[in-house]
Amino acid sequence: MKRFRQISFGLALAASTVGFGSTASAANICFAFQDLETEFWVASHKAIVETLTEMGHSVIERNATEDVNRQLEQVRDCVAQGVDGIILIPQDGESAVTIVKEATSNDVPIVVFNRPPANNDNGVIVVADNAAIAETAAGFVLEQAIAAAPSDAKLHAVVIVGDLGDTNAIQRKKGFEAAVAKFPERFDVTEVASDWDAATALANLEAAVTAKPKIDAMFTSSDFLFPTIRSVLEPRGMWKKSGEEGHIPLAGLDGDATACKLIKEGYVDATGVQDLYFEAEASVNAIVKAIEAGETDPNEVIADPGFALTTANLAEREMDMWGCKLLAEGFLDN
Amino acid sequence: MSSSPVPRRELKDKAVDLLLSDQFVLYLSIFYVLLLAPFLPMLVTPANLVNVLSNMWPLLIVAIGQTFVLAIGGIDLSQGAAIALTSVLGAVLITGAADPATFANTPIWGWLLTDAGGPLAGVDHGVVLAIAAMLVAAVVIGLINGMAVAMFAMPAFIVTLVAMMIFSAFALWLTQSGNVANLPDDFIRLGRGDIVSVYFGAKEEAKIARRAIYSLVTYPMVIAMCVALAAHMLLNRTVFGSQVLAIGMNRKAAEISGVRVRRIIIAVFVLSAVCAMIGGLLFAARLEAGRPTLGGGSFLLDVIGAAVIGGTSLFGGKAKVIWTFFGVMFYVIMASSLSAMNLSAFQIDMVKGGIILCAALLDVLRTRLKRERVR
Repeated sequence: MKRFRQISFGLALAASTVGFGSTASAANICFAFQDLETEFWVASHKAIVETLTEMGHSVIERNATEDVNRQLEQVRDCVAQGVDGIILIPQDGESAVTIVKEATSNDVPIVVFNRPPANNDNGVIVVADNAAIAETAAGFVLEQAIAAAPSDAKLHAVVIVGDLGDTNAIQRKKGFEAAVAKFPERFDVTEVASDWDAATALANLEAAVTAKPKIDAMFTSSDFLFPTIRSVLEPRGMWKKSGEEGHIPLAGLDGDATACKLIKEGYVDATGVQDLYFEAEASVNAIVKAIEAGETDPNEVIADPGFALTTANLAEREMDMWGCKLLAEGFLDN
Repeated sequence: MSSSPVPRRELKDKAVDLLLSDQFVLYLSIFYVLLLAPFLPMLVTPANLVNVLSNMWPLLIVAIGQTFVLAIGGIDLSQGAAIALTSVLGAVLITGAADPATFANTPIWGWLLTDAGGPLAGVDHGVVLAIAAMLVAAVVIGLINGMAVAMFAMPAFIVTLVAMMIFSAFALWLTQSGNVANLPDDFIRLGRGDIVSVYFGAKEEAKIARRAIYSLVTYPMVIAMCVALAAHMLLNRTVFGSQVLAIGMNRKAAEISGVRVRRIIIAVFVLSAVCAMIGGLLFAARLEAGRPTLGGGSFLLDVIGAAVIGGTSLFGGKAKVIWTFFGVMFYVIMASSLSAMNLSAFQIDMVKGGIILCAALLDVLRTRLKRERVR
């Protein structure tokens, strides 16, 4: 409860400081999301709902609990209820295409938050530049690994990839691969599938670490897997702080509170940051703008450039990361 | 004073008649809608009714398959896995393009799936051939389940649980959890195509808004009604159907009576898997992708719940396709109304669970009432 109040306060504060658009008339907006399993989605959900409510709009929330068919049915229900607009967090890129088409063919404007459709033909898409952010974050730990090794040593990097039906997961994987490509012939890469599921990641990472325990760098496609990584590495004596013998340079992507805490403690070296508040603001403003303009099929891609928070720039950029803001507000306190 | 017990008895008899009637769940659905309509007027809007119908058809087909298995006193937990595997298989064969970033690491890349799509992409009658391949896969799944249950006398619960694990994992392995999109229009039309659409009102503008046009007859509706009709005839109008129910009532007695129990059990599991495949085809077509995760989550709860709510007995020997039809209808209307009440997904699942429990208790009550009537 205390945590909830803290999140609410923090996000309300953030919402007021980012200056969301003004409201001309109250609209009925459907917010269909796939689940609230990670810190990123919880914080995004709060930011969007609270902002819309504060602007005087009514929000119909629909949680699909990771079931794409249920999400399609929920969006159809929203259309039947006569909503003015839809904000969607889809389960994956393919279902996003179908659902966006469903909304636009019924003349309901739709904004896709953070997880883009497989094509950008319809709807407003608010998305981070995942490939660039991943490349920067992964590049940081790969450089650390190279600096710590003899110049001719072949190194071993592990990448935990997300559900490759999700465009974000593909882009993050591509970003990691681009970072590795900067150091030709230096890294053997082990790819670990997670399907955006902690249990799957745990099983696959256990197998990968058992098969090849010498790891020189690791990149996870999402910060929510850091506790999973820790549970695999710690019993093997491989969960070490930066500067300690056996530390594995470790990077992630999202910018959540756990990542911020682990960077400060020295266990994690970098994380790619999606600017959650910028994306929430852009989504809310885009849907309100479309409704007010009477646009039924607005089509635009709004890019969140993002950045990488590393041990090198922590002092300057800490409070630019949403997870660090939440951490400062006591998000992880019991 | 002396005449009061007679009308009370009549009233009680009528209540029992209603409870035992084939149409009980239909009456319940109508009562439920009438009760809620004043508070949730959107429930009876054409748009919502279209949604309810649209959500009914794939679930109905899968639930019909489950009804046959429940009728022999079994259960088929592998229907979701059959949906996942057959939808992926069909989609792989007919997809027009596949992204190497997603599929290059899959075991089917290069020989079955390439960046130009599957082997039946652009081929004449490719969709028909893909559906035939899905059908063969479903029959194989059903045969494995049925033979394990019939030949080795293994419990259906454990056989289909294991089948669920194996086939869903196999579907995930085939595509490494990737969804197979870029399906041809002919396939997609099966899941979301209108045959007859209607518009209520005068045509005052040159272009009628799409949301004002309602689907009346759709491809999924036609497919589901054909399956339901065929299943109804099979279960309630043929010797095969009588034998299915006889096995559910008392397997030993059915065997002694000369029923080829093993064959019937195998046929029932094949039917269940085929129904799952047809339902999965509609799900994949409406979602425009074959998905290894289709049929997961609480889907099986929906399928078994709808059949049980309809009146199909979990103990076997008592099942009608019309009951399942009404059960699915009530289940979908209930889900729609709970969603309109703005309940969270978790609350909706809790209510659904409660209603399925009530339906199971009602089944016990109806069985007891029937026994009392026979006496």
